Amino acid sequence: MTRKLLTGLLLVCACALAQSPEAVAIVNAKIVTVSGPTIDRGTVVVRNGLIEAVGENVSVPADAWVVAGEGLTVYPGLIDPLSTVGLEAAAPAAATGGRAGRGAAAPMTLAAPAATPTAPAERARGPEDRPATTSWLLAADELQPTDRGIETIRSAGFTTSATFPNRGIFAGQGSLIDLASGEKAGDMVVVPALGQYISLSRGGGGGFGAGFPSSLMGVIAYIRQIYLDAAHYQLVKDAYAKNPRGMERPAYDRALEGVLASSRILFPANRLVEMDRMLRFAAELKQPVILYGGREAYRPEALEVLKKAAAPVLVSMRWPEAPRDPNPEDVDSFRVLEMRDNAPTAPALLEKAGVRFALYTDGLEQPRDIQRAVKKAIDAGLSRDNAIRALTLSPAEIYGVSDRMGSIDKGKIANLVVTKGEIFDDRTSIQMIFVDGKKYTPAETNGGGRGMTTTQPGENQ
Amino acid sequence: MRPVAVLLAWVAIAAAASNETILIHNADVYPVTSAPMKGVSVLIQDGKIADIGPRLAPAKGVRVIEARGLRVYPGMLDSGTELGLSEISGVRVTVDTGELGEFMPQLKALVAVNPESEHFGVVRVNGITSAMTFPSSGGGGGGGRFGGGERQIISGQAALIHTDGWTWEDMEINRSAAMHLIFPAIAGRGGRGGNADFGPDLIPNSGGGTYTQARRTYEQQIAKLSEFFDDARKYQKARAANLPGFVRDLKFEAMLPVLDRKMPVAISASRASAIHDAIAFAEKENIRIVILQPRELDRVAPELKAKNIPVILGRVLALPETEDSPYDEAFTLPLVAYKAGVKFAFGTFTNEFVRNLPYQAATAVAFGLPYEEALKAITINPAEIWGAGDKLGSVEKGKFADLIVTDGDPLEIQTQVKHLFIKGKEVALTNKQTRLYEKYSARP
Amino acid sequence: MKKLFLAVLVAFAPLCAETIVIQNANVLTVTKGSFKGSILIRDGKIVEAGEKVDVPEGATKIDAANQYVMPGIIDCHSHIAIDGGVNEGSVAVSSMVNIRDVLDPEDIAIYRALAGGVTTANILHGSANPIGGCTLPIKLRWGKDAQGLIFQGATPGIKFALGENPKSAGNPQGGRGGATTNARYPATRMGVEDVIREAFNEAKTYKAEWDEYNAKVARGEHGLIPPRTDLRLEPLKEVLEGKRYVHAHCYRADEILMLLRVADDYGFKIRTLQHVLEGYKVADEIAAHGAGASTFSDWWSYKVEAYDAIPYNTAMMVKKGIIVSVNSDDAELMRHLNTEAAKAMKYGGLTETQALALVTINPAKQLGIDNRVGSIEPGKDADLVIYDKDPMSDYAKVQKVLIDGTVYFDRDTEVSGRAAKQAAKQRLIDKEKQNQPRQGGRGGRGGQGGQVQ
Repeated sequence: MTRKLLTGLLLVCACALAQSPEAVAIVNAKIVTVSGPTIDRGTVVVRNGLIEAVGENVSVPADAWVVAGEGLTVYPGLIDPLSTVGLEAAAPAAATGGRAGRGAAAPMTLAAPAATPTAPAERARGPEDRPATTSWLLAADELQPTDRGIETIRSAGFTTSATFPNRGIFAGQGSLIDLASGEKAGDMVVVPALGQYISLSRGGGGGFGAGFPSSLMGVIAYIRQIYLDAAHYQLVKDAYAKNPRGMERPAYDRALEGVLASSRILFPANRLVEMDRMLRFAAELKQPVILYGGREAYRPEALEVLKKAAAPVLVSMRWPEAPRDPNPEDVDSFRVLEMRDNAPTAPALLEKAGVRFALYTDGLEQPRDIQRAVKKAIDAGLSRDNAIRALTLSPAEIYGVSDRMGSIDKGKIANLVVTKGEIFDDRTSIQMIFVDGKKYTPAETNGGGRGMTTTQPGENQ
Repeated sequence: MRPVAVLLAWVAIAAAASNETILIHNADVYPVTSAPMKGVSVLIQDGKIADIGPRLAPAKGVRVIEARGLRVYPGMLDSGTELGLSEISGVRVTVDTGELGEFMPQLKALVAVNPESEHFGVVRVNGITSAMTFPSSGGGGGGGRFGGGERQIISGQAALIHTDGWTWEDMEINRSAAMHLIFPAIAGRGGRGGNADFGPDLIPNSGGGTYTQARRTYEQQIAKLSEFFDDARKYQKARAANLPGFVRDLKFEAMLPVLDRKMPVAISASRASAIHDAIAFAEKENIRIVILQPRELDRVAPELKAKNIPVILGRVLALPETEDSPYDEAFTLPLVAYKAGVKFAFGTFTNEFVRNLPYQAATAVAFGLPYEEALKAITINPAEIWGAGDKLGSVEKGKFADLIVTDGDPLEIQTQVKHLFIKGKEVALTNKQTRLYEKYSARP
Repeated sequence: MKKLFLAVLVAFAPLCAETIVIQNANVLTVTKGSFKGSILIRDGKIVEAGEKVDVPEGATKIDAANQYVMPGIIDCHSHIAIDGGVNEGSVAVSSMVNIRDVLDPEDIAIYRALAGGVTTANILHGSANPIGGCTLPIKLRWGKDAQGLIFQGATPGIKFALGENPKSAGNPQGGRGGATTNARYPATRMGVEDVIREAFNEAKTYKAEWDEYNAKVARGEHGLIPPRTDLRLEPLKEVLEGKRYVHAHCYRADEILMLLRVADDYGFKIRTLQHVLEGYKVADEIAAHGAGASTFSDWWSYKVEAYDAIPYNTAMMVKKGIIVSVNSDDAELMRHLNTEAAKAMKYGGLTETQALALVTINPAKQLGIDNRVGSIEPGKDADLVIYDKDPMSDYAKVQKVLIDGTVYFDRDTEVSGRAAKQAAKQRLIDKEKQNQPRQGGRGGRGGQGGQVQ
């Protein structure tokens, strides 16, 4: 009897200590699977971090903790296909000098690519100095599971992030991570190597005084040289491996190793001219490419160019806005006005043209801001279903993990977001988030949004 | 021309004293202020135009220049230069514009004019006989583009000079032709392009901040300017009272003719709002003004016309202000002024391009400005605007014999100036460039 | 604006395709005299030009109404349409960079140059370096993408620069004692020569490596590893092989002579000397070497090395048998190269035809594209400009510009289209204003950061 009492006690203690139950069942909820038709009233069963069952008539296991789903909607957890969350507060928007908010994710914006911390480092004298290159870095190796940004973005409904280092030209490879808090870094990693993040950052001033490269053509020439060197390096390594005797040993070059290890590259492109340029360049380098930025993707020529290259594009949801305090005598150019007016229509047009795309937060992290940004695209013509897809199954497909996540299907990872109201609507609230089957509640947001990294002083309220 | 011939010509011309009597015989004369006259003669005596007429017979000892098939025009006047004050624009030690200091009305451009500047010889070859030379450099002066120093607001007194003379006294027409004021500006769109050496988009107020901040700074600077004028008036009053203990202040002394409306203030202002504010300022201070290098004329032209404020237009051959502006925006600006009835003259605002003054005018004609207006804008209009309308700017009896004899329309590029007279003295059309031409043509 | 312009292009579609005849024109062929007559164009090429030309059925007619037609202007020195910086000034030898990578077909400067009669422009790297980047000529086909601008088949170039500009980084102004930490060699004209010689020294070695490798391959040897491709030395190797033209920015007679002698030593030719304002002092040497000269009509005194510049330079070099062109190096000057050329009639007595050649057949020859453009002759590209008056007069205005037989600029259409453009813009402005009133107090709405251009 004592033994039974003891084990009973232990069980009780275990249950009290356990962070989450072994199985969870959300019952009688609306379920938007994304991969199939919406289930108006159904059940999702989660066990061991995976979706055990989903459907209209799914039986609830006896040991499952039941969540009442009446009036709630379940979606696949959102996937941010380009972010820095989980890495040490990455470089703030260097070029604009904006202040990074505390814990703010650095915007992956193109106007302000995170520059390599400059200064006493010798000025690069040419490509041989491998300026601004840390291609061997892997986000998975640099993860900080205690980064507060994880909690923030999760509260916006994100369960997964393609986190990339973003300093310099060859910043390193990104990793797909599930946004679980307090775990060991290794436990968060879904895919350790997603591809090389490349930016076109350069020293300021276009000339004298800055190190190499100081111009756009300089950066492009540098990238081209790296790939030539990598190919040559591989040739030499292979030859040496086949028959080392009598052959001079090739030097180990971690920059080239990092480049060779990357299965794809990410290139920035906002304007049509840039998209055209970078897609051609990627083809020349014979590298599979994903474009990020996509500001002018709404233009018919851009859609055509993207379609022809069959390259996916990550569209920034940081829609361009009119300046806050403009000189009333000044009017922006027609080109800029048109761009501001049309930018949010890009997702809808990409969808219609059959171009693979996803949305990324580009430094937005407050739930309200993200919700508004996606809503803007919906108001501009993107159907809600496609908006959801653009943040779930589409990014999963782009990174080749749609067999594991991006929709609510049996066997997939249990990444879910549960809302009261339709996701991305103004009055919708996020009730709970499941990451790898573990339940989280959204963090308290104080005072409605601390605001973004802005360059307009006095704007944060 | 062979070197010996050049030498002889030079000797002949140098020998001619400025009170020599010369008859330009049987030319087509274009007075500008009246209809052209074919086959008439012009008599030059004691440095002035003594007579114009069809039947002037050359007296004994009078030098006759046979001018059949040639034309006589007034010498041209460039209303925006740094002639004599700047030699090589990229080398600071050769440049004497843009002194330090915000309010420097006491500075006089004239005393720093180097009569030996190579620029004078160069511009004479193309018929420029007089010019306004300004004490400020572009980009806000005060060290301006050479860095450091406060931004200039009042840079000093511009001088009206002849483009030839032994000393600056010799060259002077009016040492205080205008007070130059660079009106505060709200730094607007970037990327002006072109060579705006006098660019009125100067005092960078915003420095990257918001419009509200820039506006505030702008208003502060106008307030400062008003204060300076108030102080000048106080000085004027004290001076009149002349009580014991009164001390002369050179800065305010220099302001007296401005306050008395004797000296106009040449205000650099390019945007419509700045021009409008400048006009309001002039009203308040009761001063005479001329606007330099306006770029947005449409909105303010009626005001300028109503108040009889003339403008000096900058280079016609300039890029449009904004991406969406029509490509011929600058080419048609003179037409806008003309249609609105605003009196205008042309200025090149860069020493290097002064010799192309007539071609700037020609471009305006290509884009709609009546030819006569273009010609006036480089002769009689600037003469009148700068207070020398009784002395030059047209071929009329009694005026300075500032004349050019050409083989065609001076606004056409192929036209050559055959003779040039300044105050009745013929000036050789040689310069550093013709000398180098001669030298290297003779290289064996 | 873009949509509107595309609409305009569509409206002119018939003029793009088949047969076009320009009639009642004063035709200035440049190479085959001038006459009053017509030009027949088919598939973008000039088929016939003469006083009496048979007009085929269905040809689109352009009535030139006694206006003047000349070959499209070719600007041998321009920096328009370049994205992200004109100079890679961080290093003294930046031959690895290529203008071709950064062409910006949406640069408004292209359209404005078209409106000034320019149809082809040699787009160059800046003058910050003794050896700059690779260059190429483009046609100003406004509305096409970057590939569509490239002058296909033209020999590519590389930019060199001598004199004050490349010295500046190494010789900072006011750098008295101590300011040499970030100074870049060279700081004197002596150093400029050294940098160029050094680079070609390396290039010779590099070329020898590749020649050896290629020879081995040709002999059938196997298992070879090729030398490493060095993007910096590749273009210099091409110069040594005569496959890439050298366009060298220079001012003073001494540096001009220096470069000619360096080229002689390494066995290559300088294709064009650019600016070459003191070219008149060493015209004999330039002519003997066979370099072309591309210069300003009358710019001077903005730098010390420009102080001895004379407007007679152009005519003097022409008279020594040098192929001379007049260029702009400036987005504004580019818009009136016809009158810049005319100045050589005033300063130095060139004839009208000689002056016209300065901006047509001469730059075409310099760029090696004279088989395609530069004069109105059968077989050449239909790159033509219609002026309302003689283009040598500064009263003349560009009316139409054709490239490859397509009208890319039409003044009448442009002027009459302005109201519509303005209205379209106003609609956008109004729309944006309408959507904005709920501003202020929306803190945290996500500032624009630095992205809004």
